[in-house]
Amino acid sequence: MTPPDTLVEPEAPAAQAPGVVGRGPIVTTRKYVKIFRASLGERMAYRGDFLLGTVLRFLPMVTTILLWQAIFKSSGRSNLNRFTYNETIAYLLLTHISRMFSSMPGLAGGIAREIREGTLKRYLIQPVDLIGYLISYRAAHKVAYIVTSFLPYALLFFVCRNFFDTFPDPATLAGYAASLILAFLVGFFFEASVGMVGFWFLEVTSLLYIVMTLTFFISGQMLPLDLLPAPWSSFLKLLPFQYMAYFPAVVFLGKVKGTELVIGLLAELFWAVFFMIVARTLYRVGLRRYSAYGG
Amino acid sequence: MGQGILRYLRMYAQLGQYTLAREMSFRGNFLVKVSVEVIWLGILLAFYATVFGMTNTIAEWNRPQYLFFVGAFFTLNGIIETFFLENCNDFAELVRTGDLDFLLLKPIDEQFLITCRRIDWGTAPNLLMGGGVMVVSLYQMGWPFDLVRLLTFLVTFGCGIAIAYCFMLLLTALSVWMIRNQSLMEMWWLFSSLARYPKEIFKGTWAQPIGIFFTFVMPILLVVNVPANAMVRALEPSMVVFTLVSTVLLFWLSRRFFLHALRSYRSASS
Repeated sequence: MTPPDTLVEPEAPAAQAPGVVGRGPIVTTRKYVKIFRASLGERMAYRGDFLLGTVLRFLPMVTTILLWQAIFKSSGRSNLNRFTYNETIAYLLLTHISRMFSSMPGLAGGIAREIREGTLKRYLIQPVDLIGYLISYRAAHKVAYIVTSFLPYALLFFVCRNFFDTFPDPATLAGYAASLILAFLVGFFFEASVGMVGFWFLEVTSLLYIVMTLTFFISGQMLPLDLLPAPWSSFLKLLPFQYMAYFPAVVFLGKVKGTELVIGLLAELFWAVFFMIVARTLYRVGLRRYSAYGG
Repeated sequence: MGQGILRYLRMYAQLGQYTLAREMSFRGNFLVKVSVEVIWLGILLAFYATVFGMTNTIAEWNRPQYLFFVGAFFTLNGIIETFFLENCNDFAELVRTGDLDFLLLKPIDEQFLITCRRIDWGTAPNLLMGGGVMVVSLYQMGWPFDLVRLLTFLVTFGCGIAIAYCFMLLLTALSVWMIRNQSLMEMWWLFSSLARYPKEIFKGTWAQPIGIFFTFVMPILLVVNVPANAMVRALEPSMVVFTLVSTVLLFWLSRRFFLHALRSYRSASS
């Protein structure tokens, strides 16, 4: 069974674009702030459900810790490809934080649905930009998610504090924060690009399944990419997917430092911009083919 | 009684045929579903190969034995997904919309109709793939043919499927009260993660009690462990008997709970 798409957070309900009119930078900002606030309220309405889901999500973490404990014990080695037991567990815990920022359940599917059902046209007749709207909406959901799951995660990290040998210095922490924000952008624009494929193929759900399944492994959610045999680890580190889970985690662990960290962040920025351009271009070209079904 | 069973078997065959015809009218979709499962098995095997590149055993399971475990888990999950998961996943929506009324009105056992009405053929090839992995692992370890072990495996594997089904039924029944449920697919994925690895990994001061709890109180750990253990490691008669008893008990309990949940259903539509 493949890991469900919603593993990190419940799927966001279909976006509802409000009818806000106005021009100019202040009005524009206010417009997106309003979308942010409305979406935040919507999200907080189900906080009990949220909390339950977050608690359940720790079960696989327990088995993963035990599995790696068994692997390290059986191997009789204190480190595997420069990862100690503690670092491996800390890494796997940290990928949850990475995914908190980079996962976008329902985004691509939502865009494809708007195209298929013709509801996309409201973005064409109202002064709201689709991508701008979606990113404010997502950001709100991320904030709500992070706020509601703060306590359970704080508890988890407190219980697991012994797996963290050192606490990162301020420079590393700053790099970590930057890598997480960029992870959000890479994740958002990557999924938005996949959703835009809906202009050409009306049904992208199946494509999405394949992408999601592959991403789970090649982003490093199952194990640190360094543990993979030689050509694979370096190959996967060239791809943008590592920024959705692997990279922020190794930054926190202090495995990427100095110039390497700066280069890594720049590469992450490159991929964020790259996918932003891809999503924008696909949107622009796609709109030309768009025939607004559904009357 | 015999007549009744025959009637249900005939009905099940019809349902299977109908869902197969539906699936085959969207062949592209079917192929994508199968390829996702192939990719997922590939990922599991890549993980397995990577880990065994660094060690020769994991929690007392050697390389081919562990591969057998992976194959058994993949097959079991394939069976659950093919025959039950989608049906149970739809249950929350049936409750929310009130469409459950239509199913309850039919002169067929409610549990059968709700949990078995559709077969998801897209995951059926998993049975072959998982079976293939098991056969390869048996070949790798040079397994000497042993009829007793094989029969014990088949019986306990059947029990494993029944236990997993019962837990899923319990989770499904909860949706009567929790309308905006987290998707059952997700809950199932999280819950079944307990059965994904050998139970010998539950070692240490805090893990051992968890292992005991999920073996003897909520016996989800029996599901793959007992059959795989009986087939390729030690045949423990006491565990086999315990698995049989748990299956019967759980089946009775989950059915009672499910019917109780149905009585609390308040038909939202009318």
